[in-house]
Amino acid sequence: MIRGLLPGIRVLELDQGISGPYCGKIFAQMGAEVIKVEPIEGDYSRGMGPFPNDIPHPEKSGLYLALNCNKFGVTIDLSTTSGIQQLMDMVPTVDIMIANFLPGSMISLDPDRIRDCNPEIILTSITPFGNWGPYAEYKGSDLILYHMSSHAHGLLGPVDQPNSDPPIRAGGHQSDFVAGMAAATASMMALYRKLVTKHGCHIEISSYESMVTQLISGLANCSYGKPAPPRSLSALQEAATGGMVAAIGGILPCNDGYVAISPREQAQWERWVDILGSPEWSDEKRFKTREDREANSPELWELMSNWSRNHSKNDIANWGQQKRIPCFPVNTVLDLFHNTHLNERGFFTELNHPIAGVYNYPGVPYSLSHCPLPLDARPAPLLGEHNQLLLKSIN
Amino acid sequence: MNDLPLSGLRIIDLSWIIAGPTATRFLATMGAEVIKIGSARRPDPSTRGAPFQAYNQSKLYGSLNISKSRGVDIAKDLISISDVLIENFAYGVIERLGLSYEVVRKDNPNIIMIASSGTGHTGPDKEYVAYGSLLQYYTGWNSISGHPDRPPVKGGLWADPWVGMELAMVISAALSNRVLTGQGQYIDFSMAESLTAAIPEALLDFQMNNRVKEPQGNSDDWLFPHGVYRCLGNDRWVAIVVNNHAEWIELCKVINRPDLGDNPELISAVERMKYQKQINDAITTWTETTNDYDAMEILQEAGIPAGPSLDIARVFENQQLRKGGYFKGIVSNDGVTREMPSLGWRFKEGKEGNFTGAPVLGQHNDYIYRELLGLTEIEIEQLIAEEVIY
Repeated sequence: MIRGLLPGIRVLELDQGISGPYCGKIFAQMGAEVIKVEPIEGDYSRGMGPFPNDIPHPEKSGLYLALNCNKFGVTIDLSTTSGIQQLMDMVPTVDIMIANFLPGSMISLDPDRIRDCNPEIILTSITPFGNWGPYAEYKGSDLILYHMSSHAHGLLGPVDQPNSDPPIRAGGHQSDFVAGMAAATASMMALYRKLVTKHGCHIEISSYESMVTQLISGLANCSYGKPAPPRSLSALQEAATGGMVAAIGGILPCNDGYVAISPREQAQWERWVDILGSPEWSDEKRFKTREDREANSPELWELMSNWSRNHSKNDIANWGQQKRIPCFPVNTVLDLFHNTHLNERGFFTELNHPIAGVYNYPGVPYSLSHCPLPLDARPAPLLGEHNQLLLKSIN
Repeated sequence: MNDLPLSGLRIIDLSWIIAGPTATRFLATMGAEVIKIGSARRPDPSTRGAPFQAYNQSKLYGSLNISKSRGVDIAKDLISISDVLIENFAYGVIERLGLSYEVVRKDNPNIIMIASSGTGHTGPDKEYVAYGSLLQYYTGWNSISGHPDRPPVKGGLWADPWVGMELAMVISAALSNRVLTGQGQYIDFSMAESLTAAIPEALLDFQMNNRVKEPQGNSDDWLFPHGVYRCLGNDRWVAIVVNNHAEWIELCKVINRPDLGDNPELISAVERMKYQKQINDAITTWTETTNDYDAMEILQEAGIPAGPSLDIARVFENQQLRKGGYFKGIVSNDGVTREMPSLGWRFKEGKEGNFTGAPVLGQHNDYIYRELLGLTEIEIEQLIAEEVIY
């Protein structure tokens, strides 16, 4: 019986940190055989938190554990000829190799040597800015890529004092995840072509351009001559689009947190007013049309907040959804683990790691009619766990 | 080898607004023939405005009114000669239209159909109506961003573009699976889960330490310095990250404070965090007299990761993107050539991608109805008169 979405596909992962391993994880979740090659001391992400009780331990990094489920793990010293030989022995058997070949990275081989050894191979290289352009040699990081791609500029929303209240990045490592997803997307497409035509290729992913591609709507606005949205609250209120953000959607304070609502269409708005109990102000001219509400959004949001503060976030969300108004409670991770919807869909996968213990890991957001996932889910490999199984012994 | 990876594939795109069109943009630029289907009866809400021009690059656009049964029949004919069907209607809509997976696979057993919705197509909240911006709150994604003492962050267009890329990824995986096994697939995709899957650190931290992760602005638990520093000018900032001791020493030299680099008390990030304010002040003393791009160049030349915090207009002018060929001169449907975005990846050889301007509704009716479906002139006129092709 054929199992998984990618039966028989082999991936060699020679990358550390987040984006390369996240790309490998996507393949592993789909049932490809992913062999993670670590340096003798381990992937540096083993030193990144969270850790139980905040005490670093190479087998207990929550980040490493989450990024490397379902993979096989081997350690190779690639500074030695015998180490390179161990690697080259595996190269002919794999479909995809994730490696960036940058100076100072895990592997400083000429990529063409890999391709000569396996002409059908797909090489996937992720670098901060790509192997081209004036920043080709520059270093990146999640924080820097998030800021340079303008995502930070908009995240906080407009602020009173832009000169003392800087733009911020999103939590976690969103830039690294985007680069990893871009690498997986391009690699999946290349894999399709390889299966049809037997052609290999070398894909180069720029983490920066991948992040920029997350905002093509903004770039299109620029190419049509629109200015960037201001970050200062006063400038935003002066702009013609003053209340747009607030009128289209936003958050309301509740007695136990916040609820996010967006009754943007007129019909949605009328149903929303019912939920509010049709207060007198809702009949006023200044809130009649979408344009009116946009123009008077600060007053509108204050009036709605006076109501919402008396109710819970889940009550408001439920009342709204019953009337088919897009609204959701503002959840923390605690709420997620108690979320009956996620649990019923089996989103979390419980895995028992021999050293770190039992944890629930986020699964995949897709379910497939002909390929149930997850497949034989396994925890992240211990350092060098599969050396004996997968590496030819060094003489 | 000049063929793009997905050349020869045909995709019927019933999706609209952002997430679905983003997915099919990736597929179209990588060589698939994407046929976007829409109707003047209920236009894609994103049609007005410049973003539509980016989301729908490289696609064909046919007008078809699938609220009429003849329109549904024609959609079925198109689907029967296609490889992928994508839709992102609210729960139950595609079934009511008569285009469920059970129906479309009768004519095309190997079709790959992907249905994207806010919360997925099973579970107690499956009928929830959603916008991507709201899902960022629902999924915990926004809960780890911002400042601990303030209300949740208000901005950030993230959910739809992120989901769009993952949709393109899983469609491509299903296409590979079809080559390997000969079978198609129905894919139920939850936008909410796609967002939650991208915050594993907070999910594991909660389980390991019974801690609900507080947002932390630009700072990091394990690295310091790690933040943005004010530069010369109005609302100008440079982001700086120090990963190791060597970078710390170099940073201290750049900011003219080699004494800090020599200080044995400041060797590790944990120790440096104890003197956060003093160190941040020392860095700011240098950055606030420097332009943000100059600061990046000086720091990067010294081997320290750094970059300016840009707004979208400055991203549009960024020299890495300009000189690196990220923008493509594309003729828009008003005849004007504009610099439009491309992709985050390049293939080392062969074609870069298929980049053409976004179509207007009905622009490719002739190709779709005459060439692909073989309808006669009279039949097409009749369908136009009946507002089926509409």
